[in-house]
Amino acid sequence: MGNINSKGTQANTFDAIVIGSGISGGWAAKELCDHGIKTLVLERGRNVQHLVDYPTMMKDPWDFQHRNELTVKIKEENPIVSKCYAFREDAMHFFVKDKEHPYIQEKPFDWIRGYQVGGKSLIWARQTQRWSKYDFEGPARDGFAVDWPIRYDDLAPWYSHVEKFVGISGNKDGLETLPDGEFLPAWEMNAVEKGMKKRIMDHYKDRNVIIGRCAHLTKPNEIHLQQNRGQCEARNLCQRGCPFGGYFSSNSSTLPWAVKTGNLTLRPDSVVHSIIYDSAKNKATGVRVIDAHTKQVTEYFAKVIFVNAATLNSNLILLNSTSSRFPNGLGNDNGLLGKYIAFQNYRGTLSADIDGYLDSYYYGRRPCAVMMPNFRNVYKQETDFLRGYMVFFSAYRSGWGHSIEGDQLGESFKMSETEPGNWGISMMMQGETIPKETNRVWLDKEKKDQWGMPLLSVSVDYDENDEKSLKDFLTQGAEMLSVSGCKNISTNDSRQAPGLDIHEVGGVRMGKDPKTSLLNQWNQIHECPNVFVTDGACMTSTGTQNPSITFMALTARAANRAIEELKKGNIK
Amino acid sequence: MKRRRFLSSMAVMLPMAVVSTEMFLSSCNTTDTKEEGFTEANIQLLDEIGETIIPATATSPGAKAARIGQFMKVYVTDCYDADQQKTFWAGINNIKNKSIEKYNRPFPKLTISQKKEILNSLLKEPAKAIAKVKKGTGDAIQTGKEAQNKEEKPREFFSMIQNLTVFGYFTSQPGATKAVRYIQTPGSYKGEVSYKKGDKAWAT
Repeated sequence: MGNINSKGTQANTFDAIVIGSGISGGWAAKELCDHGIKTLVLERGRNVQHLVDYPTMMKDPWDFQHRNELTVKIKEENPIVSKCYAFREDAMHFFVKDKEHPYIQEKPFDWIRGYQVGGKSLIWARQTQRWSKYDFEGPARDGFAVDWPIRYDDLAPWYSHVEKFVGISGNKDGLETLPDGEFLPAWEMNAVEKGMKKRIMDHYKDRNVIIGRCAHLTKPNEIHLQQNRGQCEARNLCQRGCPFGGYFSSNSSTLPWAVKTGNLTLRPDSVVHSIIYDSAKNKATGVRVIDAHTKQVTEYFAKVIFVNAATLNSNLILLNSTSSRFPNGLGNDNGLLGKYIAFQNYRGTLSADIDGYLDSYYYGRRPCAVMMPNFRNVYKQETDFLRGYMVFFSAYRSGWGHSIEGDQLGESFKMSETEPGNWGISMMMQGETIPKETNRVWLDKEKKDQWGMPLLSVSVDYDENDEKSLKDFLTQGAEMLSVSGCKNISTNDSRQAPGLDIHEVGGVRMGKDPKTSLLNQWNQIHECPNVFVTDGACMTSTGTQNPSITFMALTARAANRAIEELKKGNIK
Repeated sequence: MKRRRFLSSMAVMLPMAVVSTEMFLSSCNTTDTKEEGFTEANIQLLDEIGETIIPATATSPGAKAARIGQFMKVYVTDCYDADQQKTFWAGINNIKNKSIEKYNRPFPKLTISQKKEILNSLLKEPAKAIAKVKKGTGDAIQTGKEAQNKEEKPREFFSMIQNLTVFGYFTSQPGATKAVRYIQTPGSYKGEVSYKKGDKAWAT
């Protein structure tokens, strides 16, 4: 069949299309553009330009109508997203409002989303840790999910590659369980944290307490200055967007870099309907886009497609990409698309007080906590639950508003409130969960959103393993706090729904065998190898680490594979 | 590491019993006690209450300079639910009543020590309320307890007004910049700096 409007088709044809401009999509765009690949990035949300579109970045607390708290009306209208710690007056505009983007909770699931150029890379918590070999070996050793088709050694050079560009601060701690990366100077621990580190590590020979590793420019290198990014100024107001580009986001880093190459076309307000599959050519040929405002449908064409719409959205798009060849979604011969969704267990927290250290304070607002790499079941199965958890904690002196004895009003009350109080500690878990077939998403057959896209149904829940892991964390946490000399230790189970961790992964898992996985070792869909999925959807297991740096490394590796394959003519 | 302080954490600030609603409904025999809403007069009253809790001192202004009444107007209207607003106005009216009862003048016209006395009396009230009830029969004790627990989510009014004042003051420009130390852009983080008693806390 001939082209009816060949000029239009040509204008809409690129070498590569990237669906999503968030933390992994931005990386796909940067790598592809760096190698001369004409790339179209489709973002469903509005444009957000670095600096220009950060309306609250320089505001003081009194500049906010409610001093950065939420109103009753906003909480009522947004019962889901208002649970997120970062959803406040200063950053609300970077979050999806509940009413505008409905989905179906078959079981409670808090789906937290950021639909704009940059996605959640604007509002993420910036904590980054490499997976270790033990994490990749997890499924095979412990007999869950499927074996990863790659190992740590496959990803190590790509961690290095992305870390250098992103700018990651940390110490070379020399730990097998949390490999060192390419680091900028680490943040400091305060006096209490140093004391706790010593006592914990003296007491437990197999546990390590280290400063957090995070995507902040403690000391920019040349590559960061080339990105027009500068030193982090310890404001810890990152979710507003940073005037210094001090933390990593697509907006401050990968997207402007891609623009500079001259190879990037960015199309915001582009809701992807589906990937176009050509049965005659046995490949995907493009993407159908619904304009977010006009609802007009346009088709774009490319040789390579990267799916980086964020875990559940990538699942949604692939499930919606049906054809005679793939009636159940693109590449979904085995029926596993949308299944084995997993998340990270954030339910457990502890708090405690500690006496002393009253002659010590800190200056500035550190954008990371102290952390402990997983120490459970590392070398072999030892506990009554599978896998383990990372521990994060920080010590602080209570500020104004803390409880005091004596006068509850007047001059002496005011004076007491203007001074820092005693030291307290906050501790949390980040637990690995086991992906299961029954934790899944699927498209509702009838209900649609305002763009005519089917609503996503989500059925994801905790299991017995999660309860045991939580219990162990609370027990171990209390013990470690006690060993550190803390008192008034209290434990809490937030009973929060899955999703509020904002670390949901899976549904399009990588694996060696096309019968039990969707993607191969290069993140290509087994049955449609010119489509790559490199966001959280690709993850075969969850690990205990904050996942974004792993998404970035997988993306860079897959993008470079795509580039090679294009050059060799294996993808055309 | 995100830690939300304020309101929820401050609810445990005071070691006192729940204030009974019974007490609020008694002896309303004065004028202008039931007027609710953030009228100019009420906002001025809130300024005075706030200033009593956090007064101007040698080195920094008080809650009045931070326009605490105006802050409470916005915050109570937009961020308090119906229950909380009920407790708020009951408490405000109670203060108005007590001022007239005890000193025959409205709160804003009292001396500083009289104002303090009125607010501090809220901290002692619950014990008296319980004692009153105990004088009766066993039923009365039960009724008293029921009255005390009447509210599904008991709000301690003093704690509430104290919370509002502290929050509104320390997030205000005069409060944050003059009473404590506010630096929007620190420039760096130092884990250990020496501290001596009297050094001010960080505002954020």
